[in-house]
Amino acid sequence: MTIAELIMDASEEAVGYTSDECLKCNVCLTVCPVARVTDLFPGPKYVGPQAQRFRTGRAQPVQIAGMPIPLSPDVTVDYCSGCGWCTTACPAGVKVAEMNSQSRARMKAGKRPKLRDWGLGQTDLVGRVGVLFSPISNWALANRPIRALMETTVGIHREAPFPKFGRRTLQATWKRRQKRRGPAAVPGPDKAVVYFHGCSANYYEQHVADAAIEILKRNGFETIIPEQVCCGLPLISNGIYTEARQRAHKNLDVLARYARQGYRIVGTSTSCTHTIKAEYREMLDIHEDDASLVANATWDICEFLLDLHEQGRLDTRFGRLDEDLPYHAPCQLRSHGIGLPAMDLFALVPGLRAADMDHDCCGIAGTYGMKKEKYPIGMAVGAPLFDKIRASGAAEAACDSETCRWQIEKATGTRTRHPIEILLQAYRAGDAESRKRNEQPAAGGA
Amino acid sequence: MPSADVVVIGAGLAGLTAAIAAAESGAHVVVLAKGHAATHWGPGGIDVAGIPAASTPRDGIRLLAGQPGHPYGFLGDDVAAALDWLRPHLADGGVDYVGDLDTPLQAVPTSIGGTRRAAILPAGQAAALSPWSPGERLVVCGIAGFKDFWPEAIAASLSRERIWQGGSRPASVTPISVALPGLAARHNLNALEIARRFDDPAWRATAIAALARALAAVPGSGGRVALPAVLGIRDHAAVLAAVQEHLPAAPFEMPLVPPSVPGMRLYAALRAALIRAGGRVQIGEMIERVERDGRRVTAVTAAAAARMYTVRTGALVLATGGIAGGGLVAERDGRLMEVVLGLPVEAPPVNEWLALDAFDPAGHPLEKAGIRTDTELRPVGADGVPVFDNVRVAGSLLAGQRYIGERCGDGVALSSGRRAARSLTAVPAGHAAKPGSKRP
Repeated sequence: MTIAELIMDASEEAVGYTSDECLKCNVCLTVCPVARVTDLFPGPKYVGPQAQRFRTGRAQPVQIAGMPIPLSPDVTVDYCSGCGWCTTACPAGVKVAEMNSQSRARMKAGKRPKLRDWGLGQTDLVGRVGVLFSPISNWALANRPIRALMETTVGIHREAPFPKFGRRTLQATWKRRQKRRGPAAVPGPDKAVVYFHGCSANYYEQHVADAAIEILKRNGFETIIPEQVCCGLPLISNGIYTEARQRAHKNLDVLARYARQGYRIVGTSTSCTHTIKAEYREMLDIHEDDASLVANATWDICEFLLDLHEQGRLDTRFGRLDEDLPYHAPCQLRSHGIGLPAMDLFALVPGLRAADMDHDCCGIAGTYGMKKEKYPIGMAVGAPLFDKIRASGAAEAACDSETCRWQIEKATGTRTRHPIEILLQAYRAGDAESRKRNEQPAAGGA
Repeated sequence: MPSADVVVIGAGLAGLTAAIAAAESGAHVVVLAKGHAATHWGPGGIDVAGIPAASTPRDGIRLLAGQPGHPYGFLGDDVAAALDWLRPHLADGGVDYVGDLDTPLQAVPTSIGGTRRAAILPAGQAAALSPWSPGERLVVCGIAGFKDFWPEAIAASLSRERIWQGGSRPASVTPISVALPGLAARHNLNALEIARRFDDPAWRATAIAALARALAAVPGSGGRVALPAVLGIRDHAAVLAAVQEHLPAAPFEMPLVPPSVPGMRLYAALRAALIRAGGRVQIGEMIERVERDGRRVTAVTAAAAARMYTVRTGALVLATGGIAGGGLVAERDGRLMEVVLGLPVEAPPVNEWLALDAFDPAGHPLEKAGIRTDTELRPVGADGVPVFDNVRVAGSLLAGQRYIGERCGDGVALSSGRRAARSLTAVPAGHAAKPGSKRP
C-alpha cells in the first residue's frame, strides 16, 4: 500500500479521521464506566484516537520489508463495552466509541469469531430456536449445572441475566391475529406507524410490544409490523461487521419502502432504534440513500410519544400511580441525543414519583456483561446503580433498554419495566378513574 | 419538542452558575453542552484577579475594573456576593474552598515547577497559600511510575529564587518518589485512576502509610509536602483528612494536566447543585441552529442521532467560552465568528493576531476578543443597542477580559453567570413555560 493510498483510505473513513481533532485531554477517560472499575481497559483515548495513528484504514496492517508485521496496538479495545459515553463527552467531536468498535471489527476481521461471540451476535437464531423449544430452553437456562457447563465450554457467565423465551414469536402472534381479523386496508402514514420490535419483543418480551401497540392505538396510530431481522447491534458489538451489514441491508430494504411513503418507524428497544438511526451509517459505513431515509424516519417510542405531546396530540388521560419509580437512562438512549423523554412522559402521570438514578451504565452493555471474563466488570460498573435502586425501596424500576432491564432485575431483584408499560398502567388507571366518575351521579360542573 | 424556561449553552463554571441560579429562582433549566471541557481542564481553584500588580483579589478587581471595557467595570461589585453564594453549594458537594477576596495573593507552586498567583483554592490545595516561614522546607512527593508529575524536575525549578515572583519561598525543596501498591505494572497511569484508588479506604490506608514512611526518611521535619492532585475524587474530603492526619508535613495538592481531578470535583459539586435545584444537564449536544422571533430566541436545536433535537425556550444563556472554549472560531478571512447566534464579535484587526512571543506577559491580543454586552449582559451591536432581548452572555465569551492572562476567568464566570440568571428570571411573563407545561 502506498502512502497516497493510506491517506485516501484514512480520509474516506470518516470516523477514524476524527482522531485528528483529538487534543489528548482525556475527558473521554473521565466518563468511561469500564476504565472506572478495571485496569484491563486503559481507557478510550489510549485505544481510540491515540492508537488510531498506528492503524491503517484496512484490515491488513502496513508491511515494511524486513520488519515483522506490526500488531494492532489495541488488543485491549476488546474491553470497550461500546457504551458511547466517550463520544458524548468529547469536547472536540472525536467519535471515540465508533473508532473503537471499528478497530475491534478490524482486529477480528478474517479470523473466525469465537463461538460464544458469534452466538451472542445471532440473536435471531438463538431466539427462534429458543422459542421453538421454549419449555426446554427456559428450563435449561435456569438450570445451574447447565449454566456452569455453558460457562466453561462457551464462556457465557453462569450468573449472566437471561430472559425467558416466549411461547411463540411476536411475528407469529401478529400474523395469526391479522389472519383472524381478515384483510383490512392499511391506514396512511398519518394514521399508522411501522413497529420495529427488535429481538427482545419478538422472542422474549411480547408484553412490551403489546403495550406499545395499545398505546399507539389510543393515540390514533395503527401498527404495521413488517418482516424484519435483528438490527445487527449484537453483531456490531462482537466485531462481526460482515453479518451485521447483511442484517442492516435486509432491514433497510423493508423499512425504506415504508419510509418512502412517509411512515414513521417506531421502536421499543432504544438500542435497536439507535443502531438504525446512527450506526448503520457511522459504524457499518452504509451510505446509500435508504440508510439516511430510514434513519430520519426512525423514532424511539418515548421520543415519538413526547413529540405527540408537544404537538398537543398525546392522550394525557393518565390516572394516578402513587409510587416511587427509579429510572435508569440506558447508554444507547443517551447516544440518541434526545434528552430523557421517558422522564418527561412520567412527569405527566399524577402521583408518579419517577427519579433518574443518574448513573452512567448498568454494566451489561448489550452482550458485554454476559461474557465470562467481562461479567465481573459489568457488575462493578452497575454496582452504584444497583445500590441506589435497592436503597429506593421501590417495588419496580423503569428502563428503555431490554438488556439493561434484565441486568437490573437480576442484580437488584427489583422488577424492571419499559417506560411504556408504566404509561399503559397509568392509562388503565385513568380509565378506571373515569369509569368510577361516570358511575357516580354527576356532582355538578367543573 | 421539549421546552424549558431557560436554556444554557455550555457546562463550564459560567454556564453551571447561571443554570443553578436560574433553577433556584424556579425556572425550568436545561444545560446543553457539546462535551466536558473547562472544568475538566482547569486547576479547580477560583481565580478572580491574579494580576501581578494586585495584592489581593479585591485589589485586582479594582485594577481590572479600571481598564476600559473590562467586564469587571460593571460586574466587579458582584464577585463577593457570587462567591458567598457559591461556597455552600460546593460544600454540599464535599468541596470546601479556602480564601476570599481579601486573602493576599500568593505565588503558589505548580506541577511544572513554576508558580501562579492565587488566593482562593480548594481545601486540598490551600496549604500552599500561606507565606513560607524562615527555614520551612518543601518536599515534592511523586508517585513511582506516574508520568504526569516529575518531582526532580519540579524541585529543581522551584529551587530557583526568581520562580517565586519576589515572594517568600521554602528554605529547601526536596524531591522524593514513592511506590504505591498495585501501580508498578501500569503503563498508562493517570491522575484519575490514582484518585479513584484513594477513594478505597483500604488502599488509601496502605498508600498513606507508604507516603508517611517515605517522608519520615527525608532529613528535617515539619514543613509542607506537595503531592499530585490525586487525593480521592468521590471521597476527597475523607482522603484529605487522612493525609493531613498521617503525614509529617502539611500536604497540598498540585493540579495536573487534564483530566484534572480538582476540576472534576468542582464540576461534580456544581452539577449536583443544579440537579438538586431541579435543572438538567445534557452533554454531547452540538448546537446546530437557533430559532428566533424578532429579537427573541424561541428554540435551540442540537444535532442528534439522525435528526435534530430541539428545545423550545423562553430565554438563552450563552456560556460557550472564548476562543479556547470554542465559543468563538476564527475564519480564514480574519473574522471571528460567535458560533451559536452569529453575534457581533469585538476583536482586534487581523493584522494584530500574530503575537511574536507566545509567552508575552501582556497576553495575546485575541484573548480580549468576545461579545460586548450591556450591564444586563444582553449582547449589543456596534451602536450599543441590545440585539436580543432574552439572550444573556456569561463567562469568557465576554469581551474585554484576558480570562487566562489576568486570571480573572472564574470571577467573571461566577459574577456574570449569576447576573445573567437574575436578569432573566426577574423578567416577568413572556418566557414562562407554555400552558400545559410538563413541569410537575
